[in-house]
Amino acid sequence: MTIQNSQFLARLWRFAGAFSVRTKIMGIVLALVLLLGVGITVQVRSVLTLALEQRLQEQSISVARDVAARATDLILVNDLFSLHQLLVETQLNNPDVRYAFVTDSNGTVLAHTFGPGFPQSLLEINTVASSDHHHTILLDSDEGLVWDTAVPIFDGKAGVARIGLSEAGMQATVTTLTGQMLLTTVMVSAVGIAAATLLTWVVTRPIIELKQAAEAVGQGDFQQYVIPWAGDEIGELAEAFNAMTADLAQAEKERAEREHLRSQLLEKVITAQEDERRRIARELHDETGQSLTSLMVRLQMVNQQCPLPDIQEQLDDVRTLVAQTLDGVHNLAVELRPSVLDDLGLAAALHRYVQDYQVRYPVEVDLVVMGLEERLPSAVETAVYRIVQESLTNIARHAQAQTASVLLECRNGRIRTIIEDDGVGFDWDQVKENGRLGLYGIRERAELLNGVLTIESTPGQGTSIFVEVPL
Amino acid sequence: MRYFLLLIAFFLLVGCATPPAAASINLSDLQPLPGVSATAVKPLRVAVAAIISPKGTVDSYGPLLDYLAEELDRPVELVQRRTYGEVNDLVQSGEVDVAFVCTSAYIVGQRDFGMQLLAAPQVMGDTVYHSLLIVPADSPAQSMADLRGSVFAFTDPISTSGRNYPVWLVQQMGETAESFFSRTFYTYSHDDAIRAVANHVADGAAVDSLVYAFALEREPELAQKTRVIHQSPAFGIPPVVVSPQARPQLVADLQAALLQMNETAAGQAALQAAGMDGFVLIEDALYQSVRELETAVNREP
Repeated sequence: MTIQNSQFLARLWRFAGAFSVRTKIMGIVLALVLLLGVGITVQVRSVLTLALEQRLQEQSISVARDVAARATDLILVNDLFSLHQLLVETQLNNPDVRYAFVTDSNGTVLAHTFGPGFPQSLLEINTVASSDHHHTILLDSDEGLVWDTAVPIFDGKAGVARIGLSEAGMQATVTTLTGQMLLTTVMVSAVGIAAATLLTWVVTRPIIELKQAAEAVGQGDFQQYVIPWAGDEIGELAEAFNAMTADLAQAEKERAEREHLRSQLLEKVITAQEDERRRIARELHDETGQSLTSLMVRLQMVNQQCPLPDIQEQLDDVRTLVAQTLDGVHNLAVELRPSVLDDLGLAAALHRYVQDYQVRYPVEVDLVVMGLEERLPSAVETAVYRIVQESLTNIARHAQAQTASVLLECRNGRIRTIIEDDGVGFDWDQVKENGRLGLYGIRERAELLNGVLTIESTPGQGTSIFVEVPL
Repeated sequence: MRYFLLLIAFFLLVGCATPPAAASINLSDLQPLPGVSATAVKPLRVAVAAIISPKGTVDSYGPLLDYLAEELDRPVELVQRRTYGEVNDLVQSGEVDVAFVCTSAYIVGQRDFGMQLLAAPQVMGDTVYHSLLIVPADSPAQSMADLRGSVFAFTDPISTSGRNYPVWLVQQMGETAESFFSRTFYTYSHDDAIRAVANHVADGAAVDSLVYAFALEREPELAQKTRVIHQSPAFGIPPVVVSPQARPQLVADLQAALLQMNETAAGQAALQAAGMDGFVLIEDALYQSVRELETAVNREP
């Protein structure tokens, strides 16, 4: 039973849930009015029918008794015309009287209201004993139900008076009343719909406002305030919503602050990293490079002064090793922080980098730089350089690409960079799972400068990276 | 489940509204009524003039008619009419065989078509009665003179005690009924005249002393509500009459049955119900005073 109930409730809930609040309220009001109206109509109709039927029955008895009393002398003195008049007048004065007739003690009809003939079968239908007060039965006639009452006249010595009261009038009254009640129900329903419309507006306006506010908050607008229209549950909901919005706004503010701090920190880290790289690069170039260069010069001088061919050969080997180390140090310095980036700018640095890159990796790179005649802010130059560097490194390491292109365009105060390759591409989700942070790094750099970075890649279709940074 | 039961109860209640009909009938199926079939034995038709009301007549004369039916060995049918005149017409046309009429009705019938006396009832050992002038018990009237300008109830246009005598009394004062009373009406029976006075429908009435005594016996409260202020001289008692064309054998049989009535227990019981001692033969001469009164009252002015 409980399970059935819960299933029933679940079904009911699903059914009710399919309608809007407006429809629900309308439905409740209409259903209530209609149920009440129809219920009361049916009940009143049945009670009224019962009461009127009882009254009709009593009326048939009283009319029959009255006719019997007044007919007594008329029958005894054989005044049949007056007897007929009595019946006609009785029918005239009681619209419900369908027929009236009087029989003598032998059952012969003395007077009746049927006019030209008489329905003979009516005679035997209802009989009454001389000692009875009356005898009433309900007849199902071709003209509807008829209450037939027989009353003995002068204890049956003068005959029997019979009166038939038709239910037609009563039925008409009941029908009229039923119609009026149903009409009232319809009218009340109309008023109910109007009231429900108003009620719906009153009830749903705060809900709709709440919904709109919730959508706005969902889109990040924490300035939404919903006016609590009433002190009811919806009003409480509005207040709870406002409190929640305020909490969210506070949380958002804190988050923004933290984000700001993080950005600052990141910026500092990056700056520090760049400074450190620059310092190490300079150190490598200036100190280590100079030392190695002078070492080579000395080795050259020693070689020239050495008479032994064996030693000379070994010295040459050493000198070659030192030259290789010098190259390595030089490359390392450039890799860390190309001085050309600081000295000649982004375009020159990228040209140099691409040149070196093509020497080191089997990838053909097409670099196009447009509208970059002037120097850019140092942070932007560094960020774009590092993004291109990281991207090309990724291509060399993972893309198995034949060619790559780098397009740099400075226009309308924005610098746009597009790096494309014809490699194997990658699945972004898989890359995220593998925890490859390189892509995050370039995104962080772009975002630190309020830039936007978009990566488009599908396996087998190559990769495109778009970066746009404001100046 | 509970709601389902409630629903069923609701519709049962609605269903209870109309009880089942006991029988069905077609009210528009009208047929001509059969004529009254002639009975094999012709009943003895007895008319009783409306000295007392039709219902009172049935109660009083019923046993007497049953007795006659028994004695004559044929059914007896009671015939009543509203006025004395109608009964006289029935006697004259022979539609009734025998009639109990009022004295003045006899006078008129005897004069007009030779109505024959058959017998007369004896009440309190005598064959006379009086006209009593009655008023409501709380009325200050002491004589007919005090009833000037009042409402007066007559019993029948040709009644001796109920109309002719009070009109004669008024005429003795040099007035007519129309000028003396403010209004008059006919009750067409003596007991209804008594009831009219008792219930203040009329301020006064003149009634048959025999009917008055009989009515007081049956309805004692009438004695408290009415008072007799005048009694007329004795008149001949209302007789039993037959038509002049009545067959002598029937006249003889009827006379025998009536005269021997108090000799059997059934006859005595019937006489008691009618308030009579028995029946005696009677002479037309006994009605002379009534005849004179009738002539005096209805004389052309």
